[in-house]
Amino acid sequence: MNLKEYISSGIIESYVLGIATEAEREEFEAMCKQHPEVVQARNNFELSLENRLLQDAVPPPMQLKEKLQATFTNTDTATANYNEEVVETPVRRLSVWKIMAAASILLLAGTAFWAFSLNNKYREAQKANESLKQQLTQSSAALAEVQRASQTLQNPALKTATLQGTENAPGSFANIYWDTTSKDVYLLVNNMPKPATNKQYQLWALIEGKPIDLGVIDEKVWQQKLLIKMKNVPNAQAFAITLEREGGSPTPEGSMYVKGEL
Amino acid sequence: MNANTTYEEQELVHLLKQKDDQAFSYLYDNYAGALYGVIKQIVTDVESGNDVLQEVFVSIWRKIDSYDASKGRLFTWMLNIARNAAIDKTRSKGYQQNLRQQPLLDDDMMHAAVRPGIDDYGLKKVLFKLKDEQRMLIDLSYYQGFTHEQIAKALSIPLGTVKTRIRSALTQLRTLLS
Repeated sequence: MNLKEYISSGIIESYVLGIATEAEREEFEAMCKQHPEVVQARNNFELSLENRLLQDAVPPPMQLKEKLQATFTNTDTATANYNEEVVETPVRRLSVWKIMAAASILLLAGTAFWAFSLNNKYREAQKANESLKQQLTQSSAALAEVQRASQTLQNPALKTATLQGTENAPGSFANIYWDTTSKDVYLLVNNMPKPATNKQYQLWALIEGKPIDLGVIDEKVWQQKLLIKMKNVPNAQAFAITLEREGGSPTPEGSMYVKGEL
Repeated sequence: MNANTTYEEQELVHLLKQKDDQAFSYLYDNYAGALYGVIKQIVTDVESGNDVLQEVFVSIWRKIDSYDASKGRLFTWMLNIARNAAIDKTRSKGYQQNLRQQPLLDDDMMHAAVRPGIDDYGLKKVLFKLKDEQRMLIDLSYYQGFTHEQIAKALSIPLGTVKTRIRSALTQLRTLLS
């Protein structure tokens, strides 16, 4: 290849500006090693670029330098705190955040010297943080449920029906809350025996004795005794719960466990 | 040490590799502005620009050992760190959420390099002297970080053409800068 052609091909500028491909970079670096003229040409371009950019420098805000220096001096104190905290149980919330804060400062400062051991400890702190986050999510969901339930109960358009146990289940007891405006139906299972594994409770609304399916009752939700939203019903006189096969039934076939009128 | 001390590049590099604080302070004082100027032409909002500048100096500090003087000047090395960090920032989720999404294939691409207040200095000022087509290609590859392949695909022109045009644009750039 003609050296002069190579030098004026634009490869030098491409390399210096960082937009050359990897193959081009490798070739260029090899050329530099073999030909001082290429190095010279590279250096010239670098200087003209540097001068132009120095000339047109935009001074950054004053506090950035201070912030940067603060980041570096914090490295020592942050390390001290960090080591201390990790020895104690990291499950306490405050500790975890201190570790995370210290870890973030360190990551920002990021001295290579600490990078390796830091990475491992960061992952440990991260795991602890994750489990706390999970607990928080679960608690939030439960809280939202309780709030929704209390709102429902305060609703003036709400009609209630107490469902008493039948001979099949004398101690059983449940409540229905029916919103006459929205037609939403809420069920609160106060006391009912746990169904067999292949069976499920099913709620019915009764109009002129005719049963209307309001859905099967989710075991998990029922165990927590929270308000369960069932299917809507435009009109109802009474409610009943029967024990059906798993998945429910279009018409009631199993035994009735509780029943009550509005 | 005297505030007016100037370092020869070799000496500066040597001290930096020894993690000398004063050398690092000198580096910031003399070069942060030049890097900041380029960064601001890529990430347009002030806060992001400040964040990137910080990240860049932290990177320089951390990676100084990997700087190889035989491959180019210190400034070139720092400039590339700055450019890459700025481009990465523009691709971050937070930045994207603040920005109106612009598709790659856009009429605006022809005018991509032209934004008021951002183009009248540094390298971008020089780019104005290029043909529209050349300026656009430099903007796409240098300021926006797209590969030749991506550009060829977006503009529906052959890869070879992209390479040739960029190369000729760069050759002109060299003349314009010197």
